Amino acid sequence: MSYRPTIVAFLCNWCAYTGADLAGTSRLRYAPNIRIIRVMCSGRIEPTFILKAFQQGADGVLICGCHPGDCHYQEGNYKCLRRFKLIQKYVDQMGIEKDRLQLEWISASEGRQFAELVNNMTKTLLILGPSKIKSSLEVEHLKQ
Amino acid sequence: MEEPRIGVYICWCGTNIAKMVDVEAVSAEVGKLPHVVLAKNYKYMCSDPGQELIVKDIHGHQLNRVVVAACSPRIHELTFRKAVEKAGINPYLFEMANIREQDSWVHTDRTEATSKAIDLVVAAIRRVQFHEPLQKRSVNVDPATLIIGGGISGMVAALEIANAGKKVYLIEKTGRLGGHVIKFDLTFPHLSSARQMIRPILQRVENHPNIDVFLNTEIRDVTGYIGNFKTTIRINETESTELRFGNIIAAVGLKPFDPSKIEEYGYGKFPDVITSMEFEEMLGTGQVLTKYGKEPRNIAIIHCVGSRNKKYHEYCSRTCCMVALKFVHQIRASLPSANIFEIYADMRAYGKGHEEFYALTTHKQIIFLMYDQQERLPVISQADRNDNCNMVIRMNEKLSGESIEVPVDMVILMVNMEAHENVKEVVHAIGVSLCGNQFFIEKHPKLDPVATTTGGVYIVGTCQGPKDIPDSVSQARAAAARILATIATGSVAVEVTTASTNEKLCCGCQTCVKVCPYSAISYNEEKRSSEVNEVLCKGCGTCGSACPAGAITSKHFTDRQILAEIEGIMSMSFKGV
Amino acid sequence: MSIRVNPDLRNELIQFGIGDWNACYHCGTCTAICPLSEEGFLFPRKKIRLMQMGLQGPLESSVEPWLCYYCGDCTKTCPRDANPGELMMSLRRYLTSTYDWTGLSKKFYTSKIWELAWILFFAALVIISFLVILPSFGYKFTTELTAEGGVKLNSFAPIPIIEAFDWIMAIIVATLLISNILRMYYKIIWKNSTTKVSLWVHIREFWLLIFNFAVQPKFSKCDDKRYWGAHWFLMSGYTIMFIVIVVFLPWFQTEKILPVWDPQRWLGYYATFGLLFGLVIAIFGRLKKKDIKFRFSHVSDWLFLVMLTLTVITGIFIHIFRINGMPMATYVSYITHMAVLVPMILIEVPFSKWSHLAYRPFAVYFTQLKKNAVLK
Repeated sequence: MSYRPTIVAFLCNWCAYTGADLAGTSRLRYAPNIRIIRVMCSGRIEPTFILKAFQQGADGVLICGCHPGDCHYQEGNYKCLRRFKLIQKYVDQMGIEKDRLQLEWISASEGRQFAELVNNMTKTLLILGPSKIKSSLEVEHLKQ
Repeated sequence: MEEPRIGVYICWCGTNIAKMVDVEAVSAEVGKLPHVVLAKNYKYMCSDPGQELIVKDIHGHQLNRVVVAACSPRIHELTFRKAVEKAGINPYLFEMANIREQDSWVHTDRTEATSKAIDLVVAAIRRVQFHEPLQKRSVNVDPATLIIGGGISGMVAALEIANAGKKVYLIEKTGRLGGHVIKFDLTFPHLSSARQMIRPILQRVENHPNIDVFLNTEIRDVTGYIGNFKTTIRINETESTELRFGNIIAAVGLKPFDPSKIEEYGYGKFPDVITSMEFEEMLGTGQVLTKYGKEPRNIAIIHCVGSRNKKYHEYCSRTCCMVALKFVHQIRASLPSANIFEIYADMRAYGKGHEEFYALTTHKQIIFLMYDQQERLPVISQADRNDNCNMVIRMNEKLSGESIEVPVDMVILMVNMEAHENVKEVVHAIGVSLCGNQFFIEKHPKLDPVATTTGGVYIVGTCQGPKDIPDSVSQARAAAARILATIATGSVAVEVTTASTNEKLCCGCQTCVKVCPYSAISYNEEKRSSEVNEVLCKGCGTCGSACPAGAITSKHFTDRQILAEIEGIMSMSFKGV
Repeated sequence: MSIRVNPDLRNELIQFGIGDWNACYHCGTCTAICPLSEEGFLFPRKKIRLMQMGLQGPLESSVEPWLCYYCGDCTKTCPRDANPGELMMSLRRYLTSTYDWTGLSKKFYTSKIWELAWILFFAALVIISFLVILPSFGYKFTTELTAEGGVKLNSFAPIPIIEAFDWIMAIIVATLLISNILRMYYKIIWKNSTTKVSLWVHIREFWLLIFNFAVQPKFSKCDDKRYWGAHWFLMSGYTIMFIVIVVFLPWFQTEKILPVWDPQRWLGYYATFGLLFGLVIAIFGRLKKKDIKFRFSHVSDWLFLVMLTLTVITGIFIHIFRINGMPMATYVSYITHMAVLVPMILIEVPFSKWSHLAYRPFAVYFTQLKKNAVLK
């Protein structure tokens, strides 16, 4: 079976998730290899969730929140950004390329931007190839 | 915990979902999963028969969890929560999978879309197993209201509430009520007297038995939460009093922009370059005169001073265009033969009667000159000795493309409305947030323009953004109505999906206290653990993800629930190679 | 260099018939719809802007108002009822007054009393000449008829004297017009400090002047061609009359009763019908106010029409009464004819509406010069 990148996305309820809904109501087309998980605020996204997604076999993890200044909870997105910078360094050291973890701001009106983002990230992941952590985890599993 | 018995329902949404997703295959596939008692698909789950199907199955199959795969939860989550609640299950023991907006509507490959739908439904099934019942909560409301700001917005709101028989504490920073409106002579577009309008309001406020006015008073700190706020205000040097109230209205208004920042206009340098506010005061004296006591022959009114210019303020102040046109009528009344120049960037006449007012004013023999904010501002300079005018304005006139000189004796600068610089203190005290322009942010720009994200705190008038008198008054009355409704009910519902702390796990680092944007978490020294005030908590979950000890649970978005969702997504074919 | 705004210009312009010009909000529909507006010579919007702003200098050096033939399309399509067509008409009146160095044009345009007084003054002069001065030199009425039975007109109005008078009047009018045109040239071409036009271009493009005077090709570009036709008929009639009266008076003012097929009579009839046709259309148009170009009438518009009509009718009467041997009626018609014609020529041609016969072709010529101008 040919390589088909998989993306797990965490979207905040107020901006990004609504923007993704708008992409749907606008009937925009984007790659079908993304699965979206809704959280109330991008500030809720824990490193654990990201690592879990990679561990479970995701080729990429996408985080989307409100644009700076637009956070429904005032500043959750800033906290998300800080955490993101740290975790990106961390996954890089684990052997997961930095580009596999992306953070973008999507407002409730940016359905088109969301669709483009998914397509662009899919392209990036196609170039990067399957996540290496996935195969090494599988080897570990077989050993056991 | 009882064994989960899950009912799964796949909606066709007519052909919206069914065309792109093989709903039969989805229900067949997920029906095999553990704990799934039944998996059905139906034409329209949100219809009455669709909802009844859920209710009937809950009763018939003793379901204790429900998953509906349909449109976005932003559309029908509440509908289905009500349906399961009707069948006697806690509404939070329900989960929705979005297979329309985020699946059937955005993909073109039926196999791919079907397999995505399966993943999303499986994730919801995994997640719902960890859902916990949550109880609706409410708090009592103190019938008194605190209003900060004694301008027209604050006074109108105060009268509205006081007339309904409820107590109002009206706090005014300065020594008198009336705000800016009391300084005006006439109002646009009907040229009616501002003083005649505001004086009776002022008297009624001052004499109303339900309104306590505190002049020369500022708010330092407000504690509590919706329905139960309190603050201490100083009455004089020695005395202070504690006020208790259930709701707050911020009506702190604005201040006029200081044009001395704009070099081109020479405000402060030329005595006859004055602001619109100063001109209002001059009109109050009944005479339009230059600083040398002469009648000006040529008067220029420059619009957008500090407005719609990235260097100063990018936003439009909304009222200045009409005020500038109003000035034309007032100048004409006292100086019938004066030449009046309206030097504008764009003429904005958006409101009721405004375009008509503009049309009326154009007949008043005035010269309109347009400038381009992006290109160059008009420049005021001293006239030559042999000119028969005081000053000369040089500008590039946009509509003709000519660079011109305008002879003037008096210049009125239509200054922008900007937020008070001390607005931050109020913001801090009442827990609302500011937009980039230092105006208070409303809860929803369209559907809830008077409430804020802090329960029980309302914003009215120009502190929310520049606006004219009718808009300020509408907001004031709207906020008063909202508050009276909560007072009448006696209690208000508060957020259910809040955070809660586990005392045993809390290490006392207080990271959560720092990250909470609502000051909803406090540190209990005695217990050596953090505590969440669930009335203040909005449920964003930031504390939950910041807690290094895992002591904070974000209800309905727990780690366990989200991790189960991730596992669910990845459990079927979605693993790639 | 920036241009000084003259806020008082408005008060001056209003006297030339301009009304509420702040109505215009510069959508540019008028310029877009105008079949005569072209790159570099855009109107009416730009000119309206100059008026609104009181930019006297650029306004006075505008050639564009003369390029407008008032079809009324701009006024018809104006979303603000700003009436750009009439604003251009008013501008032409204003420009006429600025070209005139005597200052009389402005007086005539802005004061009805002043204009009427001068008309009456010249009319009185003419009447006195015929009733008092000429008889004192022996040129008297005579009821005696010619052998053919026609009126002896030339003994009452001696050809050499009338001819000399015609020439004097033509020279006065031409001098005034030419000096005004030089001023127009100065304002439109000479004063422009950034461009210059070579002498060769002046010579090369000169034919345009004659061509435009004779045919008004610009006018024919308006969508409604009927007015161009009617105007051309009127204008050719007038030109023929002018030439025969000034140059061929002895041949035209004859005492003989020429046969009906004689070219002299045919020329006269053509000119008369041409004038009458044009006049009837203009008068009925201005009365009915159906077409936009006739909807708004300034005093100067009516005065010109009334005087020209009176001249034509009295001219017809002279002809009819003369060949039918009715001496008194002929003399009365002749004096009336002259009493209307003389003030009309002296006032309307150099100072008022009729000056357009010179300004319009020259405007086209100057436009062409401007197009060929090079940067200094």
